[in-house]
Amino acid sequence: MLDLLTTLDAWLVAPLTDYAFMRRALVGGLALSLAAPPLGVFLMLRGMSLVGDAMAHAVLPGVALGFVLAGFSLPAMSLGGLVAGLLVAGLAGSVSRMTGHREDSAMASFYLISLALGVMLVSLRGSSVDLTHVLFGSILAIDDTALWLIASVASATLLVMALIFRVLVVECLDPLFLRGQGIRGGLVHGVFLGLMVLNLTAGFQTLGTLMAVGLMMLPATTARFWSQRLEGLIGLAILIAMVSSTGGLLVSYHLGLPSGPCIILVAGIAYLASALCGHHGSLLARLRRRATPLETDENTCTP
Amino acid sequence: MSRLSLEALTLAQGGRTVLENISGTFEDGAITALVGANGAGKSTLIQAIMGLLSPLSGQVHCSMPKERRAWLPQQLALDLTFPMSVEELMLSGCWPTHGTFKRYGPQDYRRMHTIMQRLGLSGLAHRPLGELSGGQRQRALLGRTLMQEAELLLLDEPFANVDTHTVEILCDTLREMASAGATVIVVLHDMEQLAQLANCVLLLAGGHGQWVEPETLLERHHAPARRHAHAPFISLNLPDVPPCSTY
Repeated sequence: MLDLLTTLDAWLVAPLTDYAFMRRALVGGLALSLAAPPLGVFLMLRGMSLVGDAMAHAVLPGVALGFVLAGFSLPAMSLGGLVAGLLVAGLAGSVSRMTGHREDSAMASFYLISLALGVMLVSLRGSSVDLTHVLFGSILAIDDTALWLIASVASATLLVMALIFRVLVVECLDPLFLRGQGIRGGLVHGVFLGLMVLNLTAGFQTLGTLMAVGLMMLPATTARFWSQRLEGLIGLAILIAMVSSTGGLLVSYHLGLPSGPCIILVAGIAYLASALCGHHGSLLARLRRRATPLETDENTCTP
Repeated sequence: MSRLSLEALTLAQGGRTVLENISGTFEDGAITALVGANGAGKSTLIQAIMGLLSPLSGQVHCSMPKERRAWLPQQLALDLTFPMSVEELMLSGCWPTHGTFKRYGPQDYRRMHTIMQRLGLSGLAHRPLGELSGGQRQRALLGRTLMQEAELLLLDEPFANVDTHTVEILCDTLREMASAGATVIVVLHDMEQLAQLANCVLLLAGGHGQWVEPETLLERHHAPARRHAHAPFISLNLPDVPPCSTY
């Protein structure tokens, strides 16, 4: 019994009590896990799951530019990422409204341009090690400034989401209802995309620009297998993100692997397990449904 | 008395003029059927009345506040995979009074339950929209407009793909709303429903509009309703019929 406790302590607690960088990474990861998954739930429900991915790529040239101009400075790189992300979101939205083309095609075009620019900028200045760092993040680099940034972004995101929650829900179901009430859906959409860019920027330090979107989307898509209510989806997604962040960090510490991919892979395992045996729409749920006999519906079958 | 009228209204959609020089008055407390072939401009006119489309020329005079104008879109326009319950949909009709922040109170829930009972939706409050039948969903959407206490109600083919029980409930509710003074405009394809429901008809064809009495229209086409149930106006040009009294 004592052996078991000692092993558990060595695996789960000691890394956090012994090393300050692990504590910082954990706090950062948990803060991101509070803010990003609700955004992911709405992205998923609006059929925009891949938009997060596109935006994560779009953030890259800004981060790279910050890196080229100011070296490895978190504020410069974050600011650059934020500006680039908002610029791509804004341009994609405007082009789509002006041309009548679908927003996803405009966004795909702009993020590809943006990504190419970013890779070129990084390769002009830095070595391949720098590029890996920007793409996949590093928990060692989380200092107090980074923590403050992540905590502020997470707080702001939760606050703004609470403010626009009802509008966002109604807009998802029936945008014309809101337009009829004189509310501009485009504005709500813009604020939402802005929050997404903010979170991706905050997440790139821990997870890297490309992995940051994973903590947003995977918990949301996993929760879909367990709940059919919006509140349930959001709550579960947050919980899954928190467990993945903690688990991923510990795995990364013990096995000496990069933190970003570890966190996302833990979330990925949760997704695959849920797809197999979740409550709604999973493989197991489908098999079970086939096995049960027809239920008599009292509303329709009363003699 | 009328709180909604059109004055020499010309509307364009995507650079193409759809309706030209339409004038007329929608009486308070009357149900007006909007009739025309596909592409005749019914939805365009609805958009203009809702204030979502600026006219090329002319004007829509509407003295009803924006938040009391309700539009029941075709069901296809809704995202039914969104996890929302009947209750949440209906409560969103409180928007004019509650906006983004105000909490729903006990009186809102009471009002909602009364409306649900009236529409035959009792017991479905927590059912997700995606699990409802077409008819139940249409009743829930009408429930939202009742929560909204709409004074102007525009319905785009509300009877498409719904059961007869729902058609009866919808017709009764629309008549009640009209007799309480609301202006109701409904896009219709079915002559039988038109005969039952409409007090007046605005016929759209060839980019023009003409106001006619429902009886005149029915007589003119000697319409055995069932034969013409689905596409009675496809080849219709403006018939030479006396104008409706509300014009």
